[in-house]
Amino acid sequence: MPYHDVIVIGGGLAGMRAAIAAKAAGVDVGLVSKIHPLRSQSSGSHSGINAAIKSDDSWQSHAEDTIKAGAYLADQDVVEAMCQDALRDVVLLEHMGVPFSRDGDGLIDVMPFGGSSQPRTCYVGDSAGHIVLQVLYENIVRMGIATYDEWTATSLMIADGACCGVTAYDLASGKLEALSARSTVLATGGIGRLFATSTSALFATADGVGMAYRAGVPLMDMEMVQFHPTTLKGKGLVVSEAARGEGAYLVNAAGDRFMSNYSTDGDRAPELEARELCTQAIDTEIQEGRGDDGCVFLDFRHLDNDRIDDRLPETRFLVKTYLGLDITKDLVPVQPAAHRPVGGIQVDAQGATGVAGLYAAGEAACSGAHGAGRLAGNSMLDSIVFGRRAGEAAASNSRAAGKTEAPANLLAEQVEQAQGLSTRDGSSDSIGSLRRQLNQTLQSSMGVRRDGASLEQAVSAIQDLKERYQHIAVPTIGGPYNPSLPAYLELGNMLDAAHIMLTCAAARQESRGAHQRGDKPDRDDADWLQHTVAVSIPEGPQVSTKPVTITQWQPS
Amino acid sequence: MAYAFFPGCVSKGGCPELYPAAKIVADKLNIELVELRDVGCSGAGVLSQEVSDPVNARTLAKVEKMGMTMMTICSTCQGTFTQANHRLQSDPEYRDRINQEYLASEGLRYDGTVDIKHFLWILDEEYGLDNLKDLVVHPLEGLKVAPFYGCYLRRPPELMVPKGFEGRKTVLEKTIETLGGEVVNTSGKGKCCGFPILSSSEDNSLAMCGDHTLEAKDKGANCMVTPCPLCHLELDGKQEDAARHKKQDIDLPILHLPQMVGLALGFSPRDMGLHKHLVSTEEIVNILEGVRA
Amino acid sequence: MEITLKFYRFSPGNGSKGDFQEYPVEIDESATVLDALMQVKEDQDSTIAFRGSCRTGFCGDCTMRISRRNRMACSTTVGAAQNEGTITVEPVRLITTTKDMMYDLDTWVYDKYKAVEPWIETDQKSPDKEHVVSNKVVQDLRKVMSCTMCWLCDEGCSTMVVDRKFVGPLALTKAYRSVFDPRDNRTEARLKNLSEKNGMWDCCHCYEASEHCPKGIDPTERIFALRNKAIKANAGIPTVRNHYRSFAKSVKSHGWLDEARLAIETEGLTNIKGQLKQVPLAIKAFRKGKRPLPYFLHEKREGRDRIKRIFEKWEENE
Repeated sequence: MPYHDVIVIGGGLAGMRAAIAAKAAGVDVGLVSKIHPLRSQSSGSHSGINAAIKSDDSWQSHAEDTIKAGAYLADQDVVEAMCQDALRDVVLLEHMGVPFSRDGDGLIDVMPFGGSSQPRTCYVGDSAGHIVLQVLYENIVRMGIATYDEWTATSLMIADGACCGVTAYDLASGKLEALSARSTVLATGGIGRLFATSTSALFATADGVGMAYRAGVPLMDMEMVQFHPTTLKGKGLVVSEAARGEGAYLVNAAGDRFMSNYSTDGDRAPELEARELCTQAIDTEIQEGRGDDGCVFLDFRHLDNDRIDDRLPETRFLVKTYLGLDITKDLVPVQPAAHRPVGGIQVDAQGATGVAGLYAAGEAACSGAHGAGRLAGNSMLDSIVFGRRAGEAAASNSRAAGKTEAPANLLAEQVEQAQGLSTRDGSSDSIGSLRRQLNQTLQSSMGVRRDGASLEQAVSAIQDLKERYQHIAVPTIGGPYNPSLPAYLELGNMLDAAHIMLTCAAARQESRGAHQRGDKPDRDDADWLQHTVAVSIPEGPQVSTKPVTITQWQPS
Repeated sequence: MAYAFFPGCVSKGGCPELYPAAKIVADKLNIELVELRDVGCSGAGVLSQEVSDPVNARTLAKVEKMGMTMMTICSTCQGTFTQANHRLQSDPEYRDRINQEYLASEGLRYDGTVDIKHFLWILDEEYGLDNLKDLVVHPLEGLKVAPFYGCYLRRPPELMVPKGFEGRKTVLEKTIETLGGEVVNTSGKGKCCGFPILSSSEDNSLAMCGDHTLEAKDKGANCMVTPCPLCHLELDGKQEDAARHKKQDIDLPILHLPQMVGLALGFSPRDMGLHKHLVSTEEIVNILEGVRA
Repeated sequence: MEITLKFYRFSPGNGSKGDFQEYPVEIDESATVLDALMQVKEDQDSTIAFRGSCRTGFCGDCTMRISRRNRMACSTTVGAAQNEGTITVEPVRLITTTKDMMYDLDTWVYDKYKAVEPWIETDQKSPDKEHVVSNKVVQDLRKVMSCTMCWLCDEGCSTMVVDRKFVGPLALTKAYRSVFDPRDNRTEARLKNLSEKNGMWDCCHCYEASEHCPKGIDPTERIFALRNKAIKANAGIPTVRNHYRSFAKSVKSHGWLDEARLAIETEGLTNIKGQLKQVPLAIKAFRKGKRPLPYFLHEKREGRDRIKRIFEKWEENE
């Protein structure tokens, strides 16, 4: 059975950053990814990385903006760590090769992003995600890190309370294998595919959340799902925050810059409010009839063409390709769509979960750094800071821990279960039909606005889907390049994740940040300045609460 | 009709049959060619742009003074000039710098107004294929012709086949049909002939030459026509080596575009210099004479 | 709309030839071909194999031959791809397939990518600070790094048709980034590596790569830039270096190209074997009446002094 000191699951930004950090710490690393790392979802991120690198800025100011954007649900000790590390991690990325956009002195430039009190986002044109992903992979190759491309992790191997690796399906051979490790890092990415319209890649299917949940690992703040305010009409493709950073207006069907009616900060352009506020404002405009066919518009027409070509070339390309519109001439119809989970596998500031030898980072994880909403430009930052930290922690754990041999029966059980799928009688459901019902359920209950009754209904709808999931037959399992088994397992992960999200959303009896309930419209600091923590019990997810860590910023 | 004529190096060098054929045909069509003598090689994409742009700006400055469109008879010259002209036209600062550094001492300057067209484009876009048809006295009946463009006449497309000039993608086929020949399409007609890598990668070069000529032959062509003398150097000049490389006989005659036009206008194969080709042109001469007899 | 998706099925175990399988699909015409494929996979046949990830043209993973044109499934709408209600989906031509639409990307894409060592190595003089680089330079690097490795350039490449071992425009575009990144300290070694067999000198600069690049990166010009840099750095293979130099020398002294001399000098004056290779062609051409005589023997061109001066001025500027 293949063994590595550290195994990282997931080849996006967080996973590759973790693998590089672990390798740099001198241990043997394997990088497992269900798609080739260069094809990861991270490549679609156009935004940038927040870091207080300019002399008139401070990490404290960055931390304060982060905490406000998270509606005071963030653990402030973790926020402080992230904002302090940001400075060094951005420079490390630059040394690895990221060609950050420069200012007039040839130093890394910063631009204004929504929710930040001053320009703080280090950017790479408008292709930060794509280019940072390229650079990290270049370093994976350069460092000779072993990669398992197109291996889908299927379950965590836990023995004597410690994680000793994963079982994974190798698409090329069509076989399940055990990959054993002293430390395992889950960096499996997001949950976008749970929603009918989302900004995610096809493979953002909550795999890490599903595997962790089934292994009894606690999950935190799963009700918090960020909606991106500006995605292309009907497509869910993100028009970057950089668009508004560069001065694009948000206008409604009447042509009014409506954000000024919602803005709370007179100093900056109203379009540069934090994501949650923008999303809710757009949603209100549309709900109250001032939209156009479910959309409002981004208006770039007053911006200089050369500047658009320098700063927003990918945005221009995207709009042209998918809507056939030219942003220098046409209004661009946009609407909010599900973007990133803010919650995830509960970890500490080093990425450690409650299970020995198991770490998590990136969108799969929840360290408490973002609270109830994520500041634009903090997502990639989270991946590179906590990815590195998790990689370092996993490396030192693998030195300390004794080598644990994964019990052979863990793989055998998996193989047996997989084979069982092909002997089922089957039903009228398909993977597609169940996924669409799941999508509809979440779209109607876990959207920008929620209420208790529909969340309760949705929980029972998901329970029904989970039951029916057990009866789908998968006629052929295994064989070279047969994607049937991973497709089936992905749906299982999505159903588990949806179950947890809905249960947590029903439990949180207030409105805060990304979680807005029509039936509980107010923030309730007295009862709910608390994280939700969900664990698996036989009846489903069981939700408890955990206090928020406050250091120097009192909720207001 | 009068054009500033840029013959290029190869029409007088490696393919000495091309220059006279082009002159004779132009004369027949009543196209006046004012030959540019006091100018330099286009650089053919081999010379660094840093030096070929000034040399070409100098040529264009002279053409600008003449107030004419410049005509080429070589896809490579055409491509190199169009690209250089684009850089000079779209960036006035760059043009000014070249004017000052390189041309001013000679009392020249280029303002970016010259249009450059290959003979093939002129036939269609300015002379008119219908008018050409009226002059055909010996239609190329029975001749199955595979067109071969030469890369630089088609790419980069935004420069070579801009909006409003989409006809350039099929103009060679239309010309063959106008002259009474039958078109034989091949998958490689827009691809590289192999010439540019003859010195660096001979095997690949010969494989390209062999693939193009063999495909044409397999599809029934009895000749190929090209508006690019560099392609001719490869497809004709290197065909024997390509045949050896492919271990198959090829023997496919390769015509220069003006030669094909001239044959249909009634000039003899000898007038058109067909005897100077390395691959025997006897078979097509026989076909045409069979038609004429 | 109702369409028939003709999807190419191929399994290595079932002999070498695959065949089309037809799937009826009900889908909106503004949906993408990738959406249609996902629908088939989820609803009709979970065994069909294809790649695709980001849905937005950024990950480059879903390159296929769709209705007889090479393109990305996520950037092609059903409406645009269908022809009388049918869409064909088959593999691109120049790389091998391991099953259905699964290509052997390791061999044909990733190994070539790795061969150019596509990272940068820096001096690490001040590890706590970023490098000082002008925005114009990083803008150019970003442009080449916007490459999604969709390999449409390789698929269009003229050289790749005859020699699939050619490193190809995709990898060379990556190489451009490493060579032209001012932070990297291995320029010469890189240019030497790129001049090895199957390297950048096999490019025939046909501009197919630039035509096919969906990102407008212009790989052909990138390769030109690499080669010019190699010539200046005295790297590259000798015959090509000679060819470039002789070409420049000829134009410099005559205004025009001296082809006879170019042929001789390209092989290298002391390369007897190379020179002999030229002899049969020269004799045959001469007999046929092709007499590419050196220019000093026939036409004296006007203006050659002027052209010489341009060259001298350029050399001064270097």
